[in-house]
Parts: sequence; structure tokens; C-alpha cells
Amino acid sequence: MIRQTLIEAAGNLLAVWQRSLLALIGIVVGAGAVIAMLHAGAMAREETIRQFRQMGTDTMVLRADSNTGMGNFRLGDIEATPEAVPLIREIAPFMIGGGTIISEGRSRNAGFLGVTAEFAQVARLPMAEGRFLSPFDRFELLVVVGHDLAQQLSSPFAPLRVGSQIRISRYVFTVAGILEPAMMNPMLPVDVNTTLFLSLPNARRVIALPSLSMAVARLQPDADPELASQMLQQHLGPGLRDARLNVLTARQLIAGMNSQVQLVAMLLGAVGSIALVLGGVGVMNIMLMSVAERRREIGIRLAIGARRRDVRRLFLAEALILSLLGAALGVGLGFLGGIGFAWMSGWQVSFSPIAAPLGAGVSIAVGVFFGFYPAVMAARLDPIEALRAE
Amino acid sequence: MLELRGITRRFRIGPTERTVLHGIDLDLAAGELVSIMGGSGSGKTTFMNILGLLDRPSTGTYCIRGEDVLAAKADAQSLMRNRMIGFVFQQFFLMPRLNAWRNVALPLMYRGTPEAEARRRSEAMLQRVGLGQHLSHMPNMLSGGQKQRVAIARALVTEPALILADEPTGALDPTVSREIMGLFEEMNRELGVLVVIITHDPGVAARCRRRLTLVQGRLLEEDDLAKARAA
Repeated sequence: MIRQTLIEAAGNLLAVWQRSLLALIGIVVGAGAVIAMLHAGAMAREETIRQFRQMGTDTMVLRADSNTGMGNFRLGDIEATPEAVPLIREIAPFMIGGGTIISEGRSRNAGFLGVTAEFAQVARLPMAEGRFLSPFDRFELLVVVGHDLAQQLSSPFAPLRVGSQIRISRYVFTVAGILEPAMMNPMLPVDVNTTLFLSLPNARRVIALPSLSMAVARLQPDADPELASQMLQQHLGPGLRDARLNVLTARQLIAGMNSQVQLVAMLLGAVGSIALVLGGVGVMNIMLMSVAERRREIGIRLAIGARRRDVRRLFLAEALILSLLGAALGVGLGFLGGIGFAWMSGWQVSFSPIAAPLGAGVSIAVGVFFGFYPAVMAARLDPIEALRAE
Repeated sequence: MLELRGITRRFRIGPTERTVLHGIDLDLAAGELVSIMGGSGSGKTTFMNILGLLDRPSTGTYCIRGEDVLAAKADAQSLMRNRMIGFVFQQFFLMPRLNAWRNVALPLMYRGTPEAEARRRSEAMLQRVGLGQHLSHMPNMLSGGQKQRVAIARALVTEPALILADEPTGALDPTVSREIMGLFEEMNRELGVLVVIITHDPGVAARCRRRLTLVQGRLLEEDDLAKARAA
């Protein structure tokens, strides 16, 4: 009986295949959106954890803000910090700028970062080639180039390498080292891959309004970031004059990112739910139409001894087939959506194990829920009226 | 076999009440071949609906094989229709997307018969009505007469007490009409099933052994009708 019901239901759906297709699309899109949303959420979580590992939970970024713009740290204060604030293991100040660089006759814009020798270690930047800046050659015209920028400055005939020359305004710098590709570090205000690193004295030469307004620091293992930032305030605050010290810890940043990711996931979830409800309404719509068109058939079935529940089951089977098919295709679409999401955001593709069963389950439930009303309508038809219908 | 006593049916249309059937008493025995004639408005359709357990009379009792069939609720009545009544309609009313044997098997499926057995019985019944060559054909591949044979097989396959045929030849040409009537006679004779044919075709009625006529909600035997006409 169940086999016969399914055969009949499938036949009925095929007979009005355009309409079935429309209802199917609704369910597929709904299920796909929900599943893609779950995958995206999982990927976002995964990504946060990866970034967390990359930059470490012990990273802090210090910024001097003043009412008129950026404040200035005193280099001496910064260098004395690990002694004055024992919770800080290491600290590296930096200044941000940018401008045009010319290499091998080609010019392009790049971000500049004026740094001390400690920066590579504090920000965990491994070298691909050459060496980082050292305290002994800070007055020499040397630069270190980020991985992507180095590639952009290379041509097949003249790759940028240690010893290559880069001109910035009136100065000709020599490349001392090239960095390995680094993951985007959300703590830093720049992408190190496209940045040119100079010593602080050199940075003051080429950056228009140089201000030593930022520093990146690492805590001692197991140090309390709250306490450390209080102590930093005490130590660095007086030297800042009218500027204020702003301390951002990795924990705060990750909490902020998490809430953002959650917001996006919730938005996607809302879109998915709306799509799913619309899909459900689509199912209800074609089922109601189908019931209206097949009144006489329902009458015949009732006449030859179908009980109300047999009629109900026939129409529920149609809704079930639509939702099962829609859910199956929706799972595929959801995976594609997840891959697309990863591709657009540059994240690593990873899938949530609960996405497919949850998304498919919800869409099947929605389809059957919306199929229930038409099925009950069909089952309640009066056989005499139904038989008389054209 | 069938026993109807004092069947009346009233319809309420707004404030007015109209009585369509006026106290019909009728006994039908197994193996009878009965025609019911009647002009429009005579209550023919209403009587057929009551006879077929599709409608309930306002008053009266109705027993099939000694069982009170009016006491049952809707779903139980469906089962009774399934067990006791086979319908044959003017427009055949086959399921367009089921092949011949699945159409015939449908009432058996609703009864819960396993598919293999339902198929065996349906195919045997199709052989009987002369459609052994068309077991798996879809309805749209069959002629009108063949469709009506499938419908008759569907009505007979459950071994009902009563075959209720509503204008079974109304959509068929005279030759095929005669063949279908022949089939009714044959099934009536060989299976001993009670056949009630509702028709307005005197040619069809003439082939039935017992002829009833509905006149303004009252059921008359042919003899009564003759007397009434004579009077």
C-alpha cells in the first residue's frame, strides 16, 4: 500500500512537473540557505580559532589616541616597558605610513611600517629570504618586503630578491629580506604581506607625518591582560601628554569577531528560514491547487472505499516526496554555498557535521507541515460533491 | 440481501425544506439484475447516493446482508463501500495515471490486500471481462468500451454484494453499449452478483429482469407503473 501510494504520488507530481519544479525550487533554496548558513557559521568559528592560534592569545596592541589625531609614544618609555611592567614579555613600537615605491622602473603604492628590530619576533613574522632589520643598521637604507608585495615588484626576468634596490622619494633602499606569506592578523592595522618595513629613523624620512603611535606587545605566559593593561596605563600614560593610551587585547578582539560572526550567521539563518517558509508556502500552494483539480479523483477514491486517512496519506506522500527531493538537492546546494562562502571570504573550506542532517530535517518538516493542511482539506471532501466536480 | 425501509431524504435550501424521496421501501436479492429509471428531478441521483452509501437518508433504515449500514461513521462507511458496493460510472472514472491492473487493484489496496495478491486477483478479473491483453495498458490507450470493462472489473474485484452502475452505457455507442450490457448480464449470471443499473435508456432497462421507476420521489415496480398509467 505504501509503495502504491508513493508510486501514485510520484506520478501525480510528474504529471504537473512544472508546478512541482517551482515548489521544489522553494524548498531547495530554503534548505540550501539554511545548510550554507550552518556551514558558514562553522567555518567562521574554525577561522577564529585559527587566527587565535596564529596571533596567540597573549598579543596586545597599544595605541596612543589624542583629540587631534594620533599621539606619540616616547621610544625610551616603550623600550623600558618590559622592565617597568614585568607582565609584558616583549614590545615593539611601530609607525604607519604609505607612499609610492619604484623598483626596476615600475612604481606602485605600498604601506610602510616603521619598526624596531623586535617587531618581527613580537608579530611572529618568519623570513623567507635574507634577514629582518637589526638595531645596528637602523640608519642604513635597508627595507624588508612583505611576501605579496615582493611578488608584485618581481617580473619573470627580474625577481625581487635580497640586494634589489627600491626607490622611495629621494632615497634608494636595498632589500635586506623578504617575509614568508603570513596570515592576516586582525590585531595589526595593516596586511603585512603587502607592507614595506623600514627602521624608525628611515620611516621618519619617508612618511609624511610620522608619529610613533602604536606598539604591539606580548604578555608573559599566564599573565592577566586586564592587569597588564592597567599597569601599562600607569607606566606609559604620563609620557603621552594630551594623548590617551588604548590597549586592545586579542581576547577582546576575538570576542568582537565572534559576535560579528554570530550576527552574520543569524542574518543568514533568518534569510534561510524565510526562504524555507516560502518554500513551504509553495508546497502548500501546489498541493491546494492539486486538491482543487483532483476533486473528482478524490471522490472516486472515496467511493471505491478509500478512507479519509488514505486520501490524506496520498497528498502527504506528495508533500513528502517534494520535501525529500528538495532537501536532498538543498544539501548539495548548501555545500556549494558553503564552498562559495569560503571562496569569497578567503577562509578555509570546512563543513559543519550537523548542517546537512539539521537543514534537511527542518526542510522536510516544513514541507510536510505545509502539506498537511491541503491533505486534510482533501480528506474532508464530501464524496458526492467531489464526484460531481468537473 | 439489501433491505431499505421508509427511506426519505429532505434537503434544506435556505428556509424551505424539499423532500426528494418519500418513504421508499425496497428489497433486493442476490443475483437480481435491476434497472432504475426516472426523469430529471425524480430523485434518481439522490436515491443512488443513498444506495451507494455516499449519502444518508433523513429517515429510514438500510441493511446490507443483514448489517445496518447507516450506523457507521464516515471511515467505517468507506470500508463498507469497499466491502459491499462496486461503482460503475458513466464517465468510467479510471485513475489516469495508473495502468489497467493497478486501477482494478485500487479498492483491494485500500482494503490492505498485499500487492502480489491484489495484482493476481485484478489480472484474473481483467481476463474475465475480456481484457487479458491489456493488463498493463494506461487508460488513455484504451477505448471507451475497454475503459468501462476496466471499471466493471474494478467494481467486481472486491466481490461486493451490489454493483451500482450509474448510466454505464451513457458515453458509449450502441454496439459497445450492447456489449457492456452483455457483460453485466454475464457477470450477474455467473457470479450471482446483484446489479443495479440506473439509466434513462429504455433499451438498457429492457434487458434487466426487474425494472423500477422513480416518479417524484416514489419508487414504482414496472407493474405498478403500468397500472398507474392505465388508471
